[in-house]
Amino acid sequence: MAHTAPRAGAPKRSGSGSGAFRWTAVSGVALLVLLTIHMVANHFVIESVGGLRSYRQVIEYIGDPLILVVETLFLAVVTLHAMLGLRSVIFDFGLSDRAQRRVDRGLTALGVATVVYGLVLVGTLASRA
Amino acid sequence: MPSPRPADPGVEELKRAREETGPVLRKGPGPAAWFDVRRRSLGHIAFSLNRFTGLGLVFYLYLHLAVLSLLLRGESAWSSFLGIATTPVFLGLDVLLIFGLLVHGLNGLRVAMVGSGFASNRQKALYRSLMTIGGILLLGAALHILGSG
Repeated sequence: MAHTAPRAGAPKRSGSGSGAFRWTAVSGVALLVLLTIHMVANHFVIESVGGLRSYRQVIEYIGDPLILVVETLFLAVVTLHAMLGLRSVIFDFGLSDRAQRRVDRGLTALGVATVVYGLVLVGTLASRA
Repeated sequence: MPSPRPADPGVEELKRAREETGPVLRKGPGPAAWFDVRRRSLGHIAFSLNRFTGLGLVFYLYLHLAVLSLLLRGESAWSSFLGIATTPVFLGLDVLLIFGLLVHGLNGLRVAMVGSGFASNRQKALYRSLMTIGGILLLGAALHILGSG
Protein backbone atom coordinates (compact mmCIF):
# COMPACT_ATOMS: atom_id res chain seq x y z
CA MET A 1 0.00 0.00 0.00
CA ALA A 2 1.47 3.34 -0.93
CA HIS A 3 1.80 5.52 2.11
CA THR A 4 1.33 9.00 0.82
CA ALA A 5 0.20 11.99 2.76
CA PRO A 6 -3.41 12.98 2.37
CA ARG A 7 -3.44 15.85 -0.10
CA ALA A 8 -5.68 18.85 0.01
CA GLY A 9 -9.14 17.66 -0.91
CA ALA A 10 -8.33 14.03 -0.19
CA PRO A 11 -11.06 12.10 1.64
CA LYS A 12 -10.72 12.12 5.41
CA ARG A 13 -10.76 8.92 7.41
CA SER A 14 -14.31 8.22 8.40
CA GLY A 15 -15.28 6.61 11.68
CA SER A 16 -16.65 3.48 10.00
CA GLY A 17 -13.60 3.23 7.69
CA SER A 18 -11.29 3.36 10.68
CA GLY A 19 -13.43 0.77 12.51
CA ALA A 20 -13.41 -1.52 9.45
CA PHE A 21 -9.62 -1.17 9.21
CA ARG A 22 -9.27 -2.11 12.89
CA TRP A 23 -11.50 -5.18 12.49
CA THR A 24 -9.67 -6.21 9.32
CA ALA A 25 -6.33 -5.91 11.12
CA VAL A 26 -7.51 -7.77 14.24
CA SER A 27 -9.16 -10.58 12.25
CA GLY A 28 -6.08 -10.74 9.99
CA VAL A 29 -3.72 -11.21 12.93
CA ALA A 30 -6.07 -13.86 14.40
CA LEU A 31 -6.10 -15.57 10.99
CA LEU A 32 -2.31 -15.82 10.93
CA VAL A 33 -2.60 -18.09 13.98
CA LEU A 34 -5.78 -19.97 12.98
CA LEU A 35 -4.70 -20.46 9.38
CA THR A 36 -1.31 -21.80 10.44
CA ILE A 37 -3.08 -24.37 12.67
CA HIS A 38 -5.53 -25.23 9.85
CA MET A 39 -2.84 -25.64 7.19
CA VAL A 40 -0.45 -27.64 9.38
CA ALA A 41 -3.24 -29.90 10.69
CA ASN A 42 -4.77 -30.48 7.26
CA HIS A 43 -1.78 -30.60 4.94
CA PHE A 44 1.46 -31.16 6.87
CA VAL A 45 0.65 -33.83 9.45
CA ILE A 46 -0.79 -36.72 7.44
CA GLU A 47 1.67 -38.91 5.55
CA SER A 48 -0.06 -39.03 2.16
CA VAL A 49 0.17 -37.36 -1.25
CA GLY A 50 -0.38 -33.61 -0.66
CA GLY A 51 -0.98 -34.34 3.03
CA LEU A 52 -4.70 -34.80 2.28
CA ARG A 53 -6.89 -36.85 4.63
CA SER A 54 -9.02 -39.80 3.61
CA TYR A 55 -12.78 -39.68 4.33
CA ARG A 56 -12.37 -41.68 7.57
CA GLN A 57 -9.48 -39.47 8.69
CA VAL A 58 -11.55 -36.30 8.05
CA ILE A 59 -14.49 -37.64 10.09
CA GLU A 60 -12.15 -38.68 12.91
CA TYR A 61 -10.40 -35.27 12.80
CA ILE A 62 -13.56 -33.16 12.87
CA GLY A 63 -15.06 -35.39 15.59
CA ASP A 64 -12.50 -34.08 18.09
CA PRO A 65 -14.31 -31.35 20.13
CA LEU A 66 -11.20 -29.14 20.34
CA ILE A 67 -10.67 -29.31 16.56
CA LEU A 68 -14.37 -28.58 16.04
CA VAL A 69 -14.06 -25.39 18.12
CA VAL A 70 -10.85 -24.28 16.36
CA GLU A 71 -12.25 -24.95 12.87
CA THR A 72 -15.54 -23.16 13.71
CA LEU A 73 -13.62 -20.16 15.01
CA PHE A 74 -11.47 -20.24 11.87
CA LEU A 75 -14.59 -20.27 9.68
CA ALA A 76 -16.09 -17.27 11.49
CA VAL A 77 -12.88 -15.21 11.46
CA VAL A 78 -11.96 -16.00 7.83
CA THR A 79 -15.49 -15.06 6.71
CA LEU A 80 -15.40 -11.78 8.66
CA HIS A 81 -11.99 -10.95 7.15
CA ALA A 82 -13.13 -11.88 3.63
CA MET A 83 -16.29 -9.75 3.85
CA LEU A 84 -14.35 -6.75 5.19
CA GLY A 85 -11.80 -7.18 2.39
CA LEU A 86 -14.52 -7.41 -0.27
CA ARG A 87 -16.17 -4.30 1.23
CA SER A 88 -12.91 -2.43 0.95
CA VAL A 89 -12.44 -3.50 -2.68
CA ILE A 90 -16.03 -2.61 -3.64
CA PHE A 91 -15.78 0.77 -1.90
CA ASP A 92 -12.74 1.50 -4.10
CA PHE A 93 -15.24 2.02 -6.93
CA GLY A 94 -16.33 5.26 -5.24
CA LEU A 95 -19.94 4.38 -4.39
CA SER A 96 -22.55 6.76 -3.01
CA ASP A 97 -23.51 6.54 0.68
CA ARG A 98 -26.72 4.77 -0.24
CA ALA A 99 -24.93 2.21 -2.39
CA GLN A 100 -22.38 1.67 0.39
CA ARG A 101 -25.18 0.88 2.85
CA ARG A 102 -26.60 -1.64 0.38
CA VAL A 103 -23.19 -3.26 -0.03
CA ASP A 104 -22.86 -3.45 3.76
CA ARG A 105 -26.23 -5.21 4.06
CA GLY A 106 -25.45 -7.58 1.16
CA LEU A 107 -22.05 -8.55 2.53
CA THR A 108 -23.47 -9.06 6.02
CA ALA A 109 -26.09 -11.43 4.56
CA LEU A 110 -23.45 -13.26 2.50
CA GLY A 111 -21.16 -13.58 5.53
CA VAL A 112 -23.95 -14.94 7.75
CA ALA A 113 -25.02 -17.40 5.02
CA THR A 114 -21.41 -18.57 4.61
CA VAL A 115 -20.93 -19.17 8.33
CA VAL A 116 -24.31 -20.93 8.66
CA TYR A 117 -23.52 -23.21 5.68
CA GLY A 118 -20.06 -23.95 7.10
CA LEU A 119 -21.54 -24.78 10.50
CA VAL A 120 -24.08 -27.15 8.94
CA LEU A 121 -21.27 -28.81 6.97
CA VAL A 122 -18.94 -29.17 9.95
CA GLY A 123 -21.80 -30.21 12.29
CA THR A 124 -23.04 -32.89 9.88
CA LEU A 125 -19.55 -34.33 9.48
CA ALA A 126 -18.91 -34.23 13.25
CA SER A 127 -22.16 -36.15 13.84
CA ARG A 128 -20.82 -38.99 11.66
CA ALA A 129 -17.79 -39.52 13.92
CA MET B 1 26.87 29.94 6.12
CA PRO B 2 23.80 29.32 3.97
CA SER B 3 20.54 30.61 5.36
CA PRO B 4 18.09 27.88 6.47
CA ARG B 5 15.53 26.97 3.86
CA PRO B 6 12.01 28.22 4.54
CA ALA B 7 9.78 25.63 6.20
CA ASP B 8 7.75 23.69 3.67
CA PRO B 9 4.11 23.48 4.82
CA GLY B 10 3.84 20.13 3.01
CA VAL B 11 6.48 18.61 5.29
CA GLU B 12 4.41 19.31 8.40
CA GLU B 13 1.37 17.82 6.69
CA LEU B 14 3.40 14.73 5.76
CA LYS B 15 4.66 14.34 9.34
CA ARG B 16 1.13 14.61 10.73
CA ALA B 17 -0.16 12.04 8.25
CA ARG B 18 2.63 9.61 9.17
CA GLU B 19 1.73 9.81 12.84
CA GLU B 20 -1.96 9.13 12.24
CA THR B 21 -3.24 5.62 12.79
CA GLY B 22 -5.92 3.84 10.77
CA PRO B 23 -6.33 3.04 7.08
CA VAL B 24 -3.72 4.63 4.86
CA LEU B 25 -4.93 6.98 2.15
CA ARG B 26 -3.54 6.43 -1.30
CA LYS B 27 -2.96 8.37 -4.45
CA GLY B 28 -5.52 7.70 -7.13
CA PRO B 29 -7.66 5.06 -5.39
CA GLY B 30 -9.75 2.78 -7.57
CA PRO B 31 -9.40 -0.60 -9.27
CA ALA B 32 -7.88 0.94 -12.41
CA ALA B 33 -4.93 2.11 -10.31
CA TRP B 34 -4.23 -1.45 -9.12
CA PHE B 35 -3.08 -2.44 -12.61
CA ASP B 36 -1.01 0.66 -13.29
CA VAL B 37 2.44 -0.13 -11.91
CA ARG B 38 4.31 2.45 -14.02
CA ARG B 39 6.62 4.57 -11.88
CA ARG B 40 4.84 3.31 -8.77
CA SER B 41 6.46 2.80 -5.43
CA LEU B 42 7.08 -0.54 -3.75
CA GLY B 43 4.15 0.35 -1.48
CA HIS B 44 1.76 0.63 -4.42
CA ILE B 45 2.89 -2.71 -5.83
CA ALA B 46 2.43 -4.27 -2.38
CA PHE B 47 -1.05 -2.75 -2.18
CA SER B 48 -2.02 -4.12 -5.62
CA LEU B 49 -0.62 -7.55 -4.73
CA ASN B 50 -2.71 -7.55 -1.55
CA ARG B 51 -5.87 -6.72 -3.51
CA PHE B 52 -5.29 -9.43 -6.15
CA THR B 53 -4.28 -12.14 -3.66
CA GLY B 54 -7.22 -11.14 -1.42
CA LEU B 55 -9.73 -11.53 -4.24
CA GLY B 56 -8.13 -14.85 -5.21
CA LEU B 57 -8.38 -16.09 -1.63
CA VAL B 58 -12.07 -15.12 -1.36
CA PHE B 59 -12.69 -17.13 -4.55
CA TYR B 60 -10.75 -20.01 -3.02
CA LEU B 61 -12.79 -19.82 0.22
CA TYR B 62 -15.99 -20.60 -1.67
CA LEU B 63 -14.28 -23.17 -3.89
CA HIS B 64 -12.98 -24.85 -0.73
CA LEU B 65 -16.47 -24.95 0.82
CA ALA B 66 -17.85 -26.43 -2.41
CA VAL B 67 -15.13 -29.11 -2.46
CA LEU B 68 -15.66 -29.94 1.23
CA SER B 69 -19.37 -30.40 0.47
CA LEU B 70 -18.33 -33.59 -1.36
CA LEU B 71 -17.75 -35.08 2.08
CA LEU B 72 -21.51 -34.94 2.66
CA ARG B 73 -21.95 -37.32 -0.29
CA GLY B 74 -19.85 -39.98 1.36
CA GLU B 75 -16.59 -41.83 1.06
CA SER B 76 -16.69 -42.65 -2.66
CA ALA B 77 -17.25 -39.00 -3.68
CA TRP B 78 -14.34 -37.88 -1.49
CA SER B 79 -12.06 -40.66 -2.78
CA SER B 80 -12.82 -39.62 -6.37
CA PHE B 81 -11.87 -36.05 -5.51
CA LEU B 82 -8.63 -37.19 -3.86
CA GLY B 83 -7.76 -39.00 -7.08
CA ILE B 84 -7.80 -35.64 -8.89
CA ALA B 85 -6.41 -33.51 -6.05
CA THR B 86 -3.25 -35.57 -5.76
CA THR B 87 -2.20 -35.11 -9.41
CA PRO B 88 0.92 -32.95 -9.98
CA VAL B 89 -1.17 -30.13 -11.54
CA PHE B 90 -3.39 -29.83 -8.47
CA LEU B 91 -0.42 -30.10 -6.12
CA GLY B 92 1.07 -27.19 -8.09
CA LEU B 93 -2.14 -25.22 -7.47
CA ASP B 94 -1.72 -25.97 -3.74
CA VAL B 95 1.69 -24.29 -3.92
CA LEU B 96 0.07 -21.31 -5.71
CA LEU B 97 -2.48 -21.13 -2.88
CA ILE B 98 0.29 -21.07 -0.28
CA PHE B 99 2.04 -18.32 -2.27
CA GLY B 100 -1.18 -16.25 -2.13
CA LEU B 101 -1.64 -16.92 1.58
CA LEU B 102 1.93 -15.96 2.41
CA VAL B 103 1.95 -12.78 0.31
CA HIS B 104 -1.45 -11.66 1.59
CA GLY B 105 -0.82 -12.70 5.20
CA LEU B 106 2.66 -11.27 5.61
CA ASN B 107 1.96 -8.08 3.64
CA GLY B 108 -1.27 -7.70 5.62
CA LEU B 109 0.75 -7.98 8.82
CA ARG B 110 2.95 -5.14 7.56
CA VAL B 111 -0.09 -3.00 6.70
CA ALA B 112 -1.60 -3.66 10.15
CA MET B 113 1.68 -2.75 11.86
CA VAL B 114 2.22 0.42 9.82
CA GLY B 115 -1.46 1.43 10.10
CA SER B 116 -1.27 1.00 13.87
CA GLY B 117 1.74 3.28 14.08
CA PHE B 118 4.45 0.61 14.46
CA ALA B 119 7.53 0.87 12.27
CA SER B 120 5.85 3.42 9.99
CA ASN B 121 9.27 4.73 8.92
CA ARG B 122 10.65 1.28 8.15
CA GLN B 123 7.88 -0.17 6.03
CA LYS B 124 10.09 -0.93 3.01
CA ALA B 125 12.58 -2.84 5.15
CA LEU B 126 9.65 -4.56 6.87
CA TYR B 127 8.15 -5.54 3.51
CA ARG B 128 11.42 -6.95 2.20
CA SER B 129 12.10 -8.86 5.43
CA LEU B 130 8.61 -10.38 5.55
CA MET B 131 8.71 -11.32 1.87
CA THR B 132 12.09 -13.00 2.40
CA ILE B 133 10.59 -15.02 5.28
CA GLY B 134 7.61 -15.79 3.01
CA GLY B 135 9.93 -16.98 0.24
CA ILE B 136 11.70 -19.37 2.60
CA LEU B 137 8.38 -20.71 3.94
CA LEU B 138 7.06 -21.12 0.38
CA LEU B 139 10.14 -23.06 -0.66
CA GLY B 140 9.78 -25.38 2.34
CA ALA B 141 6.05 -25.90 1.68
CA ALA B 142 6.60 -26.50 -2.05
CA LEU B 143 9.27 -29.11 -1.36
CA HIS B 144 6.98 -30.82 1.15
CA ILE B 145 3.88 -30.83 -1.09
CA LEU B 146 5.53 -31.63 -4.42
CA GLY B 147 7.91 -34.07 -2.75
CA SER B 148 4.94 -36.09 -1.46
CA GLY B 149 3.55 -36.60 -4.98
